[in-house]
Amino acid sequence: MTPALRVTDLRKVYRSGTLAVDGLSMTVEEGDFFGFLGPNGAGKSTTIHCITGIATVTSGTIEVFGVDAVKDYRKARALVGLSPQEFNVDVFATPVQIVDWVGGYFGIPAAERKKRIDELMQRFDLTAHLKKPFRALSGGLKRRVILARALIHKPRLLILDEPTAGVDVELRLDLWRYLGEMNRDGTTILLTTHYLEEVERLCRNVAIVAKGKIVRQGPTEEFLEGDGLEAAYLGATGAIPDHIAAGAA
Amino acid sequence: MGEVGFKTSGMTVNWIGLWTIIRREVSRLLRVPIQAFIAPWVSALMFIFIFGYVVGPRIASIGGHKYLEFVLPGILMMNVVNAAFLQATSHVYFQRFMKNIEEVLVAPLSYVEMIAGTLAAVVFRTAATAIGILAIAAVFGGVKVVSLPEFLFWVVVVSGIFGLLGIVIGLWAKNFEQLTVLNIFFITPLSFVGGVFNTVAMLPPWLRWLAWGNPFFYFINGLRHSMIGFNEAPEPLGMVLSLTLLVILSVWVWRLFSVGYGLRE
Repeated sequence: MTPALRVTDLRKVYRSGTLAVDGLSMTVEEGDFFGFLGPNGAGKSTTIHCITGIATVTSGTIEVFGVDAVKDYRKARALVGLSPQEFNVDVFATPVQIVDWVGGYFGIPAAERKKRIDELMQRFDLTAHLKKPFRALSGGLKRRVILARALIHKPRLLILDEPTAGVDVELRLDLWRYLGEMNRDGTTILLTTHYLEEVERLCRNVAIVAKGKIVRQGPTEEFLEGDGLEAAYLGATGAIPDHIAAGAA
Repeated sequence: MGEVGFKTSGMTVNWIGLWTIIRREVSRLLRVPIQAFIAPWVSALMFIFIFGYVVGPRIASIGGHKYLEFVLPGILMMNVVNAAFLQATSHVYFQRFMKNIEEVLVAPLSYVEMIAGTLAAVVFRTAATAIGILAIAAVFGGVKVVSLPEFLFWVVVVSGIFGLLGIVIGLWAKNFEQLTVLNIFFITPLSFVGGVFNTVAMLPPWLRWLAWGNPFFYFINGLRHSMIGFNEAPEPLGMVLSLTLLVILSVWVWRLFSVGYGLRE
């Protein structure tokens, strides 16, 4: 079966000369719920930006459901939905406008778009805030708008870059449930997060990135064996604090 | 959940996506009508009033035309140029500044669609500016259009040229200050010496080369010819120069988009 995402020897050097991703390779199978972990500055967001077209690729290949994301970028992008870490929206626009415009960019006809927007506004409890500008919304509501925007075209591969950062417990639990449902219905999900509990609950496979490279990859159960995911994560990234390392010894 | 994955519009041209770029930008403009439309109309009204109504009657006719009729195409062209340039720079730069340009970058839109959508919004703004100015001038009895196709040619082509230049500056600028550089040091001075208020013959002979080497002279001269039939340069020369400039800028902007200059990290 063609994987949902195949990244091979990805390298990204910024114009400033900073090497952000250094020969990263990973495969996400169709239908997977995949955790993509790593410390800040490890290259997670840069990798996601390369996959989605926000950043250019220095070298290497990216395939989304077998489609080359650089050469055949339009076809590849139609298959991907992105919920970025930052609120990259027109802050003066309303939630409906934000989601509607992105639906338009993805070529969804007006009637279909309207139906889908209504569905998403209800799903994310945004119906009471439809006419408020984005900047007037609370952090949790802003995150919901970003998620609704990522889902407008029902992407086959959903990429979530820290979707629950700054979100209250209720929304986090609700979101976990919704993502689980989507995944069961066939959407492949790539999740980056710093909440390891989230990964334990949701992800079937995990990759840990450090200094632009994958340092460990495998099924979540493997990471849970022994001292658990946190210890595995700290061990893989080489970030075990001295007192923990001493305790483990 | 329903089926996974919408069908996007045909991969040849994403018409819905293209139309969305335009309607989104129009919606942004309608949020700032004073800045986008009222300001150039008020500025044009002042020019028309002073030069057409106060100073104009004291100036002998130029080529058989009232001074207001002579000066109106220049005032119109200055405002078309400004509207086109400001529209494109603000469209590109603000999207970069707020990072919502990423919404376009992650969508299945080609570079040509992104550029065409931006330019269509430019033409919308310049058309609205031009119609308002013509309506104001009509009150003062100074509006004539002897060739509508030629008039539309100049408004659209010049909008395209300055829309493309605005995109380049919008991609290049690192701060708000840099957005105004071209306008202050190039557009405003050249438009003022490009024959808005005077003919080339009125200039001292040693200064006339300045007019012949100034692209604004051809734009203003072309629009003036389409409106009152007054001409100081061969019409095809201006048209060929303008179309050449349009093609060169189009290729340049397409190249900048395709390498991601100012757009992609």
